[in-house]
Amino acid sequence: MTIDRRTILQAGASALALGLAPQGALAQAEAFRIGALNPVTGAGSPYGSGMAAMILAAVEEVNAAGGAGGRQLQVFADDTQTNPQSAVLAAKKLIEVNKVNAILGTWSSGVSLAVIPLVNDANILLMHTSGAPALSVPPANAKGYGYRFQATNDRFGRAFAEIAVKEGYKRPATMAFNNASGIGNTQGFKKAWEAKGNQVVAEVVYEPNQPSYRAELQRVMAARPDVIVMGSFLPDTTIILREAFQTGANVKWIIPGWAANPQLVSALGNEPTEGIISVDSVSNEQAASFARYDEAYRRKMSQPGASNVYAAMTYDMVIALALAIEAAGPGAGTAQINAKIREVSNPGGEKVFTFADGKAALKAGRKINYEGASSVLDFDEFGDVTPDFGVFFITKGKLDRRYVVKI
Amino acid sequence: MAFWIELLISGVVAGLIIGLSALSITLVFGIARFPNAATGDTMTVGAYGALLGHRATNSLLVGGLTGAAAGALVGFLGYWFIFRKLAQRSNVALLVASIGLAFVLRAILGVSFGHSQQVFQLPLVRPWRIGGVPVHPNDLVLAAACAMILAIVFAILHLTPVGRRMRAVADDPALARVSGISPSGVMTVLWLLAGAVSASAGIVAGIKTVVSPEMGWDLLLPAFAAAIVGGIGSPVGAVAAGLLIGVVQELATPFVGFTYKIALSFLMMLVVLLVRPRGLFGKLEGAR
Repeated sequence: MTIDRRTILQAGASALALGLAPQGALAQAEAFRIGALNPVTGAGSPYGSGMAAMILAAVEEVNAAGGAGGRQLQVFADDTQTNPQSAVLAAKKLIEVNKVNAILGTWSSGVSLAVIPLVNDANILLMHTSGAPALSVPPANAKGYGYRFQATNDRFGRAFAEIAVKEGYKRPATMAFNNASGIGNTQGFKKAWEAKGNQVVAEVVYEPNQPSYRAELQRVMAARPDVIVMGSFLPDTTIILREAFQTGANVKWIIPGWAANPQLVSALGNEPTEGIISVDSVSNEQAASFARYDEAYRRKMSQPGASNVYAAMTYDMVIALALAIEAAGPGAGTAQINAKIREVSNPGGEKVFTFADGKAALKAGRKINYEGASSVLDFDEFGDVTPDFGVFFITKGKLDRRYVVKI
Repeated sequence: MAFWIELLISGVVAGLIIGLSALSITLVFGIARFPNAATGDTMTVGAYGALLGHRATNSLLVGGLTGAAAGALVGFLGYWFIFRKLAQRSNVALLVASIGLAFVLRAILGVSFGHSQQVFQLPLVRPWRIGGVPVHPNDLVLAAACAMILAIVFAILHLTPVGRRMRAVADDPALARVSGISPSGVMTVLWLLAGAVSASAGIVAGIKTVVSPEMGWDLLLPAFAAAIVGGIGSPVGAVAAGLLIGVVQELATPFVGFTYKIALSFLMMLVVLLVRPRGLFGKLEGAR
């Protein structure tokens, strides 16, 4: 048949009608919609696909156990591109088009800081793995709907200070990427270090996407530090370490785990990365919940679960949220569910390690304490957790965990 | 004193990257009469092309040639399929089309290579010390390569017939047409050249830092500032302004700090536009 104006008009009208048609009959309570908003591309891409896969795995587990609060869970996934502008567009689409009831798994602080006002306006929960301290307090967390499953950068800084003391460094300098996360790390370090009566010999804040960081390194090295504490990300860490090695700088490094990871080693080789101290939060590896998460991660991603601490966090987000929905009962709104999150995760009550056990205990009227795969998930008044920190030394190109720091 | 010389060297290398991309912008603006926002992403294409060439042959020279060829090809295809069709429209339409082309290039690179960073696997070497100042051999090689590229571009512009035709079209398109200069030949050479030049800027930036799909777009604004400061349409001006901006930015860091140094390029652009709008080397143009 010929394609003419009339045909196009008819085709367009029927497509529109199909799009607007009701999406099937609702035979039971409406599903609880989860927006899985993860860094599938961008700086967080080593972790993002695993994070999204674990949200799906946990949702399958919850639905197989009969759902939460009489509702099945439904996932809508999107990509933040580890970029606040793209993340806001994705969050708007999830909130306005997919009408999600919670957003889970934003990773970068810039992204979470950009998304949390949208989430507050829509009266839904945001569970994230970002570090910026500003996400704990008003104005970002004025409604208390933000839950952080990673340590704050401030806590990271405190861990760095403990490590610097343990390793015997006396003259630390800091270099921070100019955003909330980078500065949070180095400010946290500085506060904890100065509280012990010590001094930071040099502090530099640098801009992203520069052709060279030589001037910044020059400023830091002029103060003759013995260790440089970084609040940085993978691309800038690569450039700075390469330039430091090429200028013959003889200094040690303490770098957050998301920047000092296997990709850094493959970019720079073994020599410039030898002896770097990489610090990241560690999962709750002794718990049965971790074993369950690990099995699911191996099944979906063919890698050990310990290779992606953020995926353990997103797995816990779904389980903890589902337990809270179950505790809040059918037809509960965000505020009621929010009130139950600490109740099902914090101490006081029977320790449970799976959704099915927690659901059974709640049905029997007992109080539970979900111990997660990522940490024991004891949320403080800001919605933050305090995990333990693994201290990894990069030796001959491999990250070798030597000890664990508790703060 | 060594401290300032180190900053100066760092500024010169950064300035060469800015200068080369500003050269590409100014060539396109001078002859095709619109600001080409796809310059940044042509830089990224060049960086990825060089990465592939380097990985295949382990020779940086071959990588550089591959990258420049990739950039030239992208420039030419952009002209052939997009800018040629829009030639009769206003230059705002061309600018917006170039922004669209930039998005398309970035997306294609993102899908083909992924968004995680890639690096040129070059052997890491310690610097030479000349009079107490660490001078990096890689920096010298890159500076020499940039100087050679500039020499080639200026040779093409001033010593070849097609270059003379390009300069004629830049001076006065109507008169050039009347004189019998056919625009398509000139435009083809222009876009090949502009694409190769911006690709070279991208390759230098990629060697010095890391290669990712967003890298060119992020370096675009200082390049525009340099093109304006040097005088839009003047190749010498673009390179000189790029070097000036790079050096001023680095030398000013002890005074303004690292966060505000990037504002300096725009401050300079502001001052130049207020005091001498035609730029350092630009010509006064009458508008009727």
